[in-house]
Amino acid sequence: MSKLSVEAKVGFFVVIGILLLGYMSMKVGKFSFKRGSGQDISVFFDSASGLSKDVPVEIAGVEVGRVRKISLKNGKALVTLRINPDIKLRKDVKAAMRTRGILGDKYVELIPGSLAAPLIKAGEQIVQAAPVTDMNTLMNILGEVAMNVKKLTKSLANVFAGEKGEASLRSIMDNTNEMVEALNRTVQANNKDFSAIIANFTSFSERLKDIGDANSDDIRDIVANMRAASQRMESLVAGINDITAKINEGKGSIGKLVNDKETIDSLNRSLAALQNITDKINRGEGTIGKLINDEETVDNMNFALAGINDYIKKQDTFRTYFDYRGEYLFDSEETKSYVSLRIQPREDKYYLLQVIDDPRGRETVKDTTRTIDGVTTTEHKVKVDRDELKFSAQIAKRYYDLGLRGGIFESTGGVGIDYYFFKDRLTLSLEAFDFDPDRNAHLKFKADFKPVNHIYISSGFDDFISDEGRESFFIGAGISFADEDIKTFLSDIPIPMN
Amino acid sequence: MIRIFESAGRPFVAFVEEFGRILLLLISATAWLFRPPFRFRVVLKQMEFVGVKSITVVLITGAFTGMVLALQTYHGFRMFGGEGLVGSTLTLAITRELGPVFTALMVTGRAGSAMAAEIGTMKVTEQIDALYTMSVSPVQFLIMPRIVAGILMLPVLTVISDFIGIVGGYFVGVKLLNINSGIFMARIVEIVDLDDIFNGLIKSACFGLILALVGCYKGFYTTGGAEGVGKATTQSVVYASVAILISDYFLTSVMFR
Repeated sequence: MSKLSVEAKVGFFVVIGILLLGYMSMKVGKFSFKRGSGQDISVFFDSASGLSKDVPVEIAGVEVGRVRKISLKNGKALVTLRINPDIKLRKDVKAAMRTRGILGDKYVELIPGSLAAPLIKAGEQIVQAAPVTDMNTLMNILGEVAMNVKKLTKSLANVFAGEKGEASLRSIMDNTNEMVEALNRTVQANNKDFSAIIANFTSFSERLKDIGDANSDDIRDIVANMRAASQRMESLVAGINDITAKINEGKGSIGKLVNDKETIDSLNRSLAALQNITDKINRGEGTIGKLINDEETVDNMNFALAGINDYIKKQDTFRTYFDYRGEYLFDSEETKSYVSLRIQPREDKYYLLQVIDDPRGRETVKDTTRTIDGVTTTEHKVKVDRDELKFSAQIAKRYYDLGLRGGIFESTGGVGIDYYFFKDRLTLSLEAFDFDPDRNAHLKFKADFKPVNHIYISSGFDDFISDEGRESFFIGAGISFADEDIKTFLSDIPIPMN
Repeated sequence: MIRIFESAGRPFVAFVEEFGRILLLLISATAWLFRPPFRFRVVLKQMEFVGVKSITVVLITGAFTGMVLALQTYHGFRMFGGEGLVGSTLTLAITRELGPVFTALMVTGRAGSAMAAEIGTMKVTEQIDALYTMSVSPVQFLIMPRIVAGILMLPVLTVISDFIGIVGGYFVGVKLLNINSGIFMARIVEIVDLDDIFNGLIKSACFGLILALVGCYKGFYTTGGAEGVGKATTQSVVYASVAILISDYFLTSVMFR
């Protein structure tokens, strides 16, 4: 710090201050930037009491704007709302004033209309929604109720209270009294008439008796008819009785159906059979029973599921890697390149296909044996083609940290051994190939170190027991990456059966 | 009889005179700001002294101010279940008042006193007269850079103090007193305005002017040797602190109606 110039210190200090200020401003000034733009719409409220400028306008609790202006027009409150430009409102949107929190903060709630309505344009007017029962309206309604009750009691009081009311009440009582008395008097005065009425009734009943006496035969006929009818009714009821008795006894098809023991037995039997079947299933007898009860089924199912699981896992562990490495050979001062495709169906094994561009070229040894005039001459011809590529095809198997490889190494047969350290970050390898009786085998030792994923550096000693002076120290580097695309078509293989 | 009035009037006259001298010093410093030669490095040096070197003391006071505010307001708000308001209350208090005022007071104690002592020593050792003889304006060379540094650096310090105060309050409120962190922050965002922060910064710039001006003035008019320097230093701190608190009231009454 002490090395820093004054300018740097002050500059650093000021920058920190500005950054902190910027951060705090962004935090608390979240809405102040938005205030500038947006569309204005207006709404008439019966009362804008408690509403103030800049209070939020919300839809479903989300702030979409602010109240911009409150003014008075035609005795109503004209409230102008500024809605954020990214909010699309329909024409039938409604506005309502709401209250929030214990302190009763007012805000404006917009109630969106149907989606079919056209979009609203800036400057248009919307309507006030039917007021909801918030605390305020409840109070208003209660107030009105109280007013009505008050009016009622007031008029009652007007009627009854005071001397006038008392007087009229008294006169009502007096009137009632008078009426009862008059009634009494009427009854007493008309006592005679009542007696006459009763006498009339008496004579009327006497005359009725006379009529009865005169038509007594007719009446007797009627009674006889009635009796006959009732007798017929009796026989009808007896018939019905008979039918039900028959059903009870089990006669007729209905009777059989209802009364026959056989029916019930067969029903019982079929139920028993059903019981039997379920018992069997329960006990594990029969195909279904086996299917349901046999442990083996479950095992098989489990096994099948395990197989599917295994397959999926295999799919998962299946990897293909592309790899390029270059090795700089200090001896020949040239670079040897390897391009490889590593197919790794499982963690512990892989197949390696490699194309190698060796600056030393590919050697082909040709022994031609010729027999001319009984003399056999053998021509030993070594051809070096520097443009020819070499190939490797190897299989590798891994046991914990030890890997074994075998196959074609640089177009000749060979074996290799790998040892992995530090979670595979460091690999030591020894390869032996090109076993030729005429010369020493090609031995190669290398150490690959992978400091980050996909990239590794390499160093080693190539052909270090060569008797042809080819031993060379090398350093190299490479990139290696997993290829998901190749995996998908390579792994579409039949399920391996265990 | 006249003496009584005189003894009453003398301090008043002295005060008015002193005030006038301070004002004149300010005016001449302002004038020198726009006149060559511009010595940018001198200003920068003072900015480092006032600003960068005060950072530790400002951080500590800021943090603990926020923490103790959280603690105190928490007990109050808990009475009616309003713990969520602790954050916004302390943020308002810090950004509006405590951040600017405490920062200014701390810087007065640190830098204002140093200004008075430094210029005072130069005065009594006649270095200022030497400047005159070299036709270097002491106002331009000594005073103007300090005032500029005060005005520029105090807001920066205040921002840092505000921030660290809120962080301290957050720590105490959320981590120690278990206020919900979401509510804590939401209330701050909801209640605190950008104006609260900016008005606090305007205040702090005014305080910076006051403390630098008083410090320089006291140093510039030092008389009486080493003792005078000590006296000037003490007075500069006292006067500047009082002036800051008084002006704070008036600035607040103008800004936050």
